[in-house]
Parts: sequence; structure tokens; C-alpha cells
Amino acid sequence: MRNSEKTLFPPLAVRLYGVWFRHFRVYTKNLISNGLPPFLEPLIFLAGIGLGMSRYIDTMAGMPYITFLATGLPITAAMFTAAFECSYGTYIRLEFDHVYEGMLAAPVGVHDLLIGEIIWAGTKGFFFSLAVIIVVGAFGLIPFPWSLTTPLIGFLTGVMFAALSMLITSIVKNINQFNFYFTGFLSPMFFFSGVIFPLENLPAFLRPFAELFPLTHAVRLCRAGDFAQFHPSLLIDLLFIALFTAVAGWLGIMRLKKKLIR
Amino acid sequence: MDPVISVSSVYKHFGPTCAVKGLSFSVPASLCFGLLGPNGAGKTTMMKMVYGVSQRSAHPPGAISVFGFDPQHQSLAIKFISGVVPQENNLDEELNVEENLRVYARFYNLPSKTAAARIKELLEFMELTGKRRSGIRELSGGMKRRLTIARALLNNPRLLILDEPTTGLDPQVRHLIWEKLRNLKRQGMTILLTTHYMEEAFHICESIVIMNKGEKIVEGHPHELVGAAIEPFVLEVTKPEAFSAVSSSLPPSARVERSNDIARIYSSDRTALQELSNRLNAGEYYFRQSNLEDLFLKVTGSTLNAQQ
Repeated sequence: MRNSEKTLFPPLAVRLYGVWFRHFRVYTKNLISNGLPPFLEPLIFLAGIGLGMSRYIDTMAGMPYITFLATGLPITAAMFTAAFECSYGTYIRLEFDHVYEGMLAAPVGVHDLLIGEIIWAGTKGFFFSLAVIIVVGAFGLIPFPWSLTTPLIGFLTGVMFAALSMLITSIVKNINQFNFYFTGFLSPMFFFSGVIFPLENLPAFLRPFAELFPLTHAVRLCRAGDFAQFHPSLLIDLLFIALFTAVAGWLGIMRLKKKLIR
Repeated sequence: MDPVISVSSVYKHFGPTCAVKGLSFSVPASLCFGLLGPNGAGKTTMMKMVYGVSQRSAHPPGAISVFGFDPQHQSLAIKFISGVVPQENNLDEELNVEENLRVYARFYNLPSKTAAARIKELLEFMELTGKRRSGIRELSGGMKRRLTIARALLNNPRLLILDEPTTGLDPQVRHLIWEKLRNLKRQGMTILLTTHYMEEAFHICESIVIMNKGEKIVEGHPHELVGAAIEPFVLEVTKPEAFSAVSSSLPPSARVERSNDIARIYSSDRTALQELSNRLNAGEYYFRQSNLEDLFLKVTGSTLNAQQ
């Protein structure tokens, strides 16, 4: 009765797509409330900080300050959406809604479930950074067409923060502890990863610490793409993102697996 | 023909507690097999090990085979040809009835046309067609259960695994679900279910294992078990003082089980029990045929509900 197993259940890509499709369906169900804010947020940011601050700060790192912000903003948007999706979102699906238990009754494994979800968070990172460049692009604030590389970096950023957030989700004891993650880690990163001001302006002894922030590397890749300034050192940023994603993702999946398969 | 499921001396430990203790059974094709027992007997744990969402303990070593696959390593193959109805409905509350099924159909790689036809058919079968656009929160408990069963049937499974299919549902819904399960069985599907309702096992199972505290107590056909292992009639005396009044004149063949305030007098002598009941007031006794519940009481010394 032993059959060749491979032909008997859907291949990996189909399983991952199934999980991705579930998230896609849920997200697109409320298209207005889910799809509009990614476009409004950069508008508000540009109006509030960009227009106001630009009166006082003219240029930053050799470009108009508003352009400097506009080339970092898509990446923080990707970071926050992926972080929310795989912290609060994952936790609620795991502990409150029991969505995973339902999905695990189908021919889907824990790895499919979590990797599919990380890919979905990457997709959201792509979409959110795309929304930002559409808005800032409409104001002519970013170079075209090279800024079209941004959503790709947004995808990588989303995947990286999804992996990290899953690790955090596997560690927290209750949903309130995510506050530490957001105010203690993500918010500082927003300010010290070269989005608001160049890292060169940091005191020398702090600069190595900024290099430990995953966001730093994503922002650097994004700006390099925007201005088509490709340098071999960018490979280090890519490598950092790849390693960080792999390690955080692997640890997170291993730990969550223990909660899902007992 | 090989059994669809065979389980041999399986153990499951959660830390110091042992939820399943050396359980063995096998489920032949095309019949309904029930794991019966009170809450905490280890039924759900056993079910989860069958489809690989729980892993059996490595020591002492046991074995599980489902269609020749080991759930420890090949759970995807098992879940592809089996439908699983978990104890909790765990439907996706962010999606409506039809979308729940459509999202699930992706996991089986059903082409969208096939999926649409299958979903239509299943909604009809489960009498949910009118609710296909409804949100999950708008559904009654019985509808949620039927939808969860429909979800498990999407891929035309050869084996249907149900963990407490009708717990918490009203009798009408329960009968409806039993009718559907009998219908599926007639189509050749193998069914494995857990229940703590003796009545449920009696209605739809051809074969049962009664479990208590992780162990198998008895195994067999429910009707035959009741016929062979226990006296066919029982007089339940619901008041202790009423029992003391008749306790001196019990028929010689009688066996008495007492739990809480209820005394159950078992005997194969129907007339003797009836005569005894004549000496009691209405409302103090209940005369009936023995059932699986009585069998459970006999072998474990406790009622099914006592441990809930």
C-alpha cells in the first residue's frame, strides 16, 4: 500500500500559495479600509514633516531634505506593515482565532503555514512601499524610473521584519508585550537607521550600532537603487538581510512549531 | 483488505502525565469506528496523533499507520486523502461561508471550476446553501459544525476524522449530522470519530473502543458489547431513601452500582425488576434497557459525566 509520496499531496509552491491566498483574500476583502491608508500615510507624513521641516532644513546628504525623506519612507512603511502582520496578526491567529489549527487540518505543514505568511508579509511590504513611491512620485520628489527598484527592496524588508516578528511572537507571553518590541526596537530604528538623517551625522562611536539595525541595510539598498549608485559594498547589506532573515525566521519557526505540534 | 488505520501500543506523554497508554486498535475500510470515553480520556490526543498534529512519544515505541503512511513523517499525504473535523470549529471568521471553503480548496490544489462545483454540492449536502454569503459569526453552532464537516469533505476524502462531531449541539442538529454521516458511510467512506455520548456511538458506529484515562477498556460492536457484557435491564432508583426501602428484597441475580444519589439495579430478570419498581413511587425510579453508559460504569466504576 506504500505509494510514492510525492504524487500524493500538492507540491510546496501550491501549499505556500494556499496560505498566501488566504491572507490575500482576507486583506482584499476590506479593500478601502486596508488599501487606502498606505497612500494616505505618506501624504500626511510629507505634509506634516516634509513641508514643515523643509523650511528649516534645506538639504540633507546633498539632496533636498524632502527627497531624502521620500527615499527612506517606503522602507519604513514596509517594515511597519510586515511587523504588525507577523506580531499582532500572527499572535491573534495563533492564540485567539485558532486559524492555524484549522489550516493544519488541511494538507499543509507548520513550515508551509509560517513561510507562506512571511511571503505574504513581504508582499505587503512590496505593496506599501509601492504606495509610497506612487504618492511621492506624483509630487516629483523621487528619481524616475530607478525608484521602481524600491518595491523590490520593500519586499525584502517585509520578509526580514516578518521573520523577526515571528521570532518575537514565539517569545512573548501575552499580546501586550509587543509594546516592548514596537517602542523599544522598531521606533528607535526608525530614527537611527538613516531614514531621518544620514548615519554619518551620528557620533562615531554610535555608528557601528546603527549598522546592527536591520533597517539600516534596507534603507541603504533603497537609496542606492533610487539613485542608481551601485557599489560592491551593497552586497554586504544584501548578505546582512539574507542572514538576518534566515536566522530569525528559522528560530521563530522552530519555536512556533512547538506551540502548534505538541 | 488492509485496515485503513492501525494503531499499535501508542503512548503519549505530556511532561509527567500520560495521556495515552499503550493504545492499540485498527479501523477497517468503509465503516464507522468510535473512540468513546469521558473528557480527559485521551481521545483527542489519539485523534491528533492519527493525522500528525500531535506526535506520539518515542518511548515506549509504538506505531501508527494510516493508508500505509506514518503520520509522524507523512502527515501531508494522510491529510490529503483524509478530511479532518477538529474539536473546535476553527473556521476563518474573517471570511464568509463560501470563502472559507474556497480558501480551503486551494490547499488541495483543486482547479477553481472543480472547487466551485464541489462547494456548491457540499453546501447543498450540508443544507447551507442559503447561508453561503453569511459571515461565520452569524451562524448557529450547528451550522458552524456542518460547515466544518463540509470543509473536511472538499477533497472527497477516503477517511473522515471527526473529533466530537456533535458535542454541545441540540438533539435535532445531532440527528441531522448523524444522518449525513450514515449517508457518507454508505458511499464507502471510512469514519473515525470520538465522542463522549454513548448514544452517538450506538447510532452510527459499527465498532467502538471505550477509553478511560488513556487506556482501552473494551472493544467491539456497540450492540454486541451491551448484549454480552452487561445485564439487559436496569432499574434506576433516584432517591437514596427509596433504595433503602427496597434494598432488602432485591432479586438474587441483581447487581447494584451506586454513584452519587443514584442506585442502579441491573438484572436480566425483567419481571423481578418490574415487581420491585411497583413498590416505589412515581418519580423515584426509571426503568430502562441498559446501554453503553452502564457498560462504562461497570468497567470503570464511575459514570461518564463524573469526570467532566
